[in-house]
Amino acid sequence: MQQLIDFILRKKDVVVYFVLLFLSLSLIFNSNYFHKSKFIIFSNGITNYTNEVFENINWYFELKKINSSLVEENLILKNQLEKFIEKSSIDSLENVAFQYQNAKVISNNLSSIKNNLVINKGIKHGLKNEMGVISSTGIVGIINRTSKNYSSVMSVLNTETKINAKVKRTSHFGTLEWNGLSNRELLLNDIPETADIKIGDSIITGGMSLIFPEGINIGVVSEIMKQEKFNDTVMKFNISNQVKIANIEFRENYLNIEVKLHTDMNNLNNVYVIESLNKNEFENIKK
Amino acid sequence: MINIYLLIFKRFIFLVLTQVLIFNKFDFFGIYDPYICLVFILTYPVKLSKISFMMTAFAFGLTLDLFSNSLGLNTAACLTVAFLRSYIMSFVFGGFFDPRGLKLIKNYISDSSFSQKFLYLTSVILIHHFILFSLEAFSLIYISTVIYKTLITALLSGIFCTTLIYIMIENEK
Repeated sequence: MQQLIDFILRKKDVVVYFVLLFLSLSLIFNSNYFHKSKFIIFSNGITNYTNEVFENINWYFELKKINSSLVEENLILKNQLEKFIEKSSIDSLENVAFQYQNAKVISNNLSSIKNNLVINKGIKHGLKNEMGVISSTGIVGIINRTSKNYSSVMSVLNTETKINAKVKRTSHFGTLEWNGLSNRELLLNDIPETADIKIGDSIITGGMSLIFPEGINIGVVSEIMKQEKFNDTVMKFNISNQVKIANIEFRENYLNIEVKLHTDMNNLNNVYVIESLNKNEFENIKK
Repeated sequence: MINIYLLIFKRFIFLVLTQVLIFNKFDFFGIYDPYICLVFILTYPVKLSKISFMMTAFAFGLTLDLFSNSLGLNTAACLTVAFLRSYIMSFVFGGFFDPRGLKLIKNYISDSSFSQKFLYLTSVILIHHFILFSLEAFSLIYISTVIYKTLITALLSGIFCTTLIYIMIENEK
């Protein structure tokens, strides 16, 4: 304190100068509109810049909240869209066939040949077995076990999963299976050799099982495999892994189509569970 | 001592009135006014303390502003020049400058060379005008206009201030 006072006393000329200068500048800014607005623009420029920088940093921490709110919004929109689609169809009863719920993936496994993932909703939220799970980019899997708060989802990367799919352009139906090899590729079986399938065709869900609504993106045709190529890949995989994987055989008289998934199964976070409202009715009539 | 304050007061009134009533309406080439008021700062007695000098300069500038309807502009310019004057004097007059103020302005005029007088006058005038005009424009876009105006007005102010200082010093014994 003493030093501060000493400093002020030593520099009293400068202090007095700056006090008076401040006074005169405040006079200028208060009496002249032009100077005032200039000053305000300048100071606002600085404060806005700093605010923006800090806001950006804050925003990063808010991302979680924003994300979840976006998911909520998406959910509402998806449900509305479903209603809208139903309305526009010939069905006059205006009943909704599918309802969506959001969930979060809390555990995800890709290393085995029967991969499962766990989501944070269960019986309490109305989830049951055999409900479809999709992400914003494509299908994820089918629920196979539920507990009170959690559900286990049989991922598409599971050799037991069979999903009804069709080629969007030609409407050929087939069954989507995983051969246990690559986690970006699936096999589309049961499409006859005569079908005119090209590389790059879109594969969507078929809508025959009521697990998934029709028309959800799955992926694109990446390759139509020949016998030798098929054997090569299987051989290579078997040698490198020393495991014999079931369910892999070349089907003759059918196309062996390799489908590249849209969904990156490594990177799943928010998913939607699809509940089919007409399922019982459908099952009854199928008997 | 009272003599000095009376002298300063007389100069204050006289310079404010001449500046405001005559020289602000000079309008050389339409826009250039000589700033005769700088004589007050140029010839302020060195004897008095710097703080009182700055305060007087502040009041002087404020009075000018009140008359010319440009609140704060002259105040800031005069104040800054008053603050810088001791540095300018010690720089220009060197060893001849005496901070305790035993020498009068008269001595400075009679005992210094022409270049010293010229440098003192020009630097004070240029600094004052530059601050005044740049505060008036208050934008970097007009920087060339500000410099141009500063130079022309400084030339005018220089001529008038020199004349006035010689007349004043001759008359005030």
